[in-house]
Amino acid sequence: MKIPVLFGLVAVLSLPACRKPPAEVTVSETRVETTRDGTTKLGATSDERFRDTRPSPVKGATPEGWLALPATQMRLLNYRFGTSGAGEVWVSISSGSVLDNVNRWLGQFGATKIDSKGLGDLRQVPLAGIPGVWVEAQGDYAGGMGAAGKPDYALAGVVAQSQGRIITVKMVGPKDEVAAAKSTLEAFSRSLTVAE
Amino acid sequence: MDAVSDPPKPPVSIPRRVFDILSGFGLATFLILLLGLLTWLATLEQVERGLLPTMKKYFDASSFFFTPDLKILNFNGTPVKIPLPGGYWVCALLFVNLFFGGIIRARKGWRHAGNLISHGGILLLIVAGGVAQWKEVRGNMAVSQGASSDVAEDYTEYVVEVSEIKDGKRSNIHVIPGKYLDDLQEQRIGSLRWFNRKLHGMATDGSEPRTFRLPDFPFDLEVNGWRENCQPVGILERAPSDGELVADGYYLLKREGEKQAEANSAGCYARALNRDGSASDPFILAGASFYGKTIQIGERAFLVEMHKRYWPVPFKVRLDKFTATFSPNTMKPESFVSKVTRIEGNHEIPVTIQMNEPMRQNGLTFYQASYGPTGERDPEKMFSVFEVVQNPSDQWPKISIAIVALGLAIQFLLKLGIFITARIKA
Repeated sequence: MKIPVLFGLVAVLSLPACRKPPAEVTVSETRVETTRDGTTKLGATSDERFRDTRPSPVKGATPEGWLALPATQMRLLNYRFGTSGAGEVWVSISSGSVLDNVNRWLGQFGATKIDSKGLGDLRQVPLAGIPGVWVEAQGDYAGGMGAAGKPDYALAGVVAQSQGRIITVKMVGPKDEVAAAKSTLEAFSRSLTVAE
Repeated sequence: MDAVSDPPKPPVSIPRRVFDILSGFGLATFLILLLGLLTWLATLEQVERGLLPTMKKYFDASSFFFTPDLKILNFNGTPVKIPLPGGYWVCALLFVNLFFGGIIRARKGWRHAGNLISHGGILLLIVAGGVAQWKEVRGNMAVSQGASSDVAEDYTEYVVEVSEIKDGKRSNIHVIPGKYLDDLQEQRIGSLRWFNRKLHGMATDGSEPRTFRLPDFPFDLEVNGWRENCQPVGILERAPSDGELVADGYYLLKREGEKQAEANSAGCYARALNRDGSASDPFILAGASFYGKTIQIGERAFLVEMHKRYWPVPFKVRLDKFTATFSPNTMKPESFVSKVTRIEGNHEIPVTIQMNEPMRQNGLTFYQASYGPTGERDPEKMFSVFEVVQNPSDQWPKISIAIVALGLAIQFLLKLGIFITARIKA
């Protein structure tokens, strides 16, 4: 008898969660203006709304054969390379730790993640004068951010940390094109500068 | 001579049975052990999942049942799904149990006054948690040195705001709360929202938009395609691969949820429904945008924006000086001290806010939470970050502990007095 009673109680307590989601809502909540409500830009285009037009804190010269693209929210410097046009290189500022970012990259290729000891074994390559680690992987590229998977891809890049920020240079593309461009990528990483 | 048999006991009524169960010591023991288990599992899961999403999963009122997601619950590499009840509802049942068993059913009289007082204190503690669940508001306020702020930003709730621009400033700012936005997406099979939509014959694939009526404006807003974490991406940069709606050359690329929920950047699609029956082209609203969407109707300009909810506070806080000290040769903080001035009308009151010494005013509590920019060492360039909490039951746990201690002390002294008196008489 106790169990049916308890189930009945649960059913009664669950009733508030069964309200039908409304198809229409009349908006009545308002708020006052605050110090966060600074000047805004009326008539902003989508490019202005979604692209970061501020100067990148990381600067570098475009290597020969690479095509410079406009910066985006997530890519301070943005390039295409390779004959297929599918190769991408970008410089980003990320969050987390160096190890988190390295393992995120490896995870995109289904590679075995590493620990702090494995991180110490990675080759050191400077990024804008900051000590970084060189990461490589190849296989089916999961794409990250929900993009469709791509077979026979490769990754090469550098992850560095400075003043609490993670700065990355990441190259992704068909594995033959990445293999051919790795030395250019390393030189590019060394050549970058960070504005104060 | 036959033994006198006991008269048969009358059958126990159903209400009495329910009362006996709800007030039973066995139920109390079970619920307390269950709460201990939930607290332990949540402590383990928040390391990987993040504090805020774990708290929501384990203890939010919207969570009736859930399954922990922990490596220790894997068996031969296969995750074992153990359904557990949500902590909020366990506490609710514990309140009923303690009220019925510890107050109603408990023995009365002066000899038991201490027990009743202690039980009352614990009931107050549980009520404090419930009040915090429904009424607590929590956000952060970042203030640079020399600057002032009168607003905190919610950690996770994204809202859509519609305002009219007059003389370059926002006016008549209307807020669409996140609770009416974040269900406009595909529902996870088996979730409470999925069940609820199925119950009402609604689509669970996120295809049904919601219309927001704005009587003060010459248009309404239709919203759909909510993404908890996403990024607006240009089609020239990356082509859509999942049939995403493209609006003005951009679409919302869905991203995996961040480990720290406050790092998520939400987005959705919207269109304006004009009073003449026409509708605008769809446009994107995203937390990761620099400017809002302008809607021009005749001479009037309106702005539609998405960002984390702003919680205005009834005074300004000016950061006069911020000091951060770190352990030698590390970035590990030892202390943060903010010297602020609270500005209320013409009154300026100096206050120091530091760890374990918050500022309390007008029902708000300002805790020293953090600093920025991350990794900055130059104190002149640092800004201070306060956690701002509005919780009507903020002091109730302290009061409940005092009540419990008083009840226990009374009960102890009563028992001691009775014992000594009995000894003397003997």
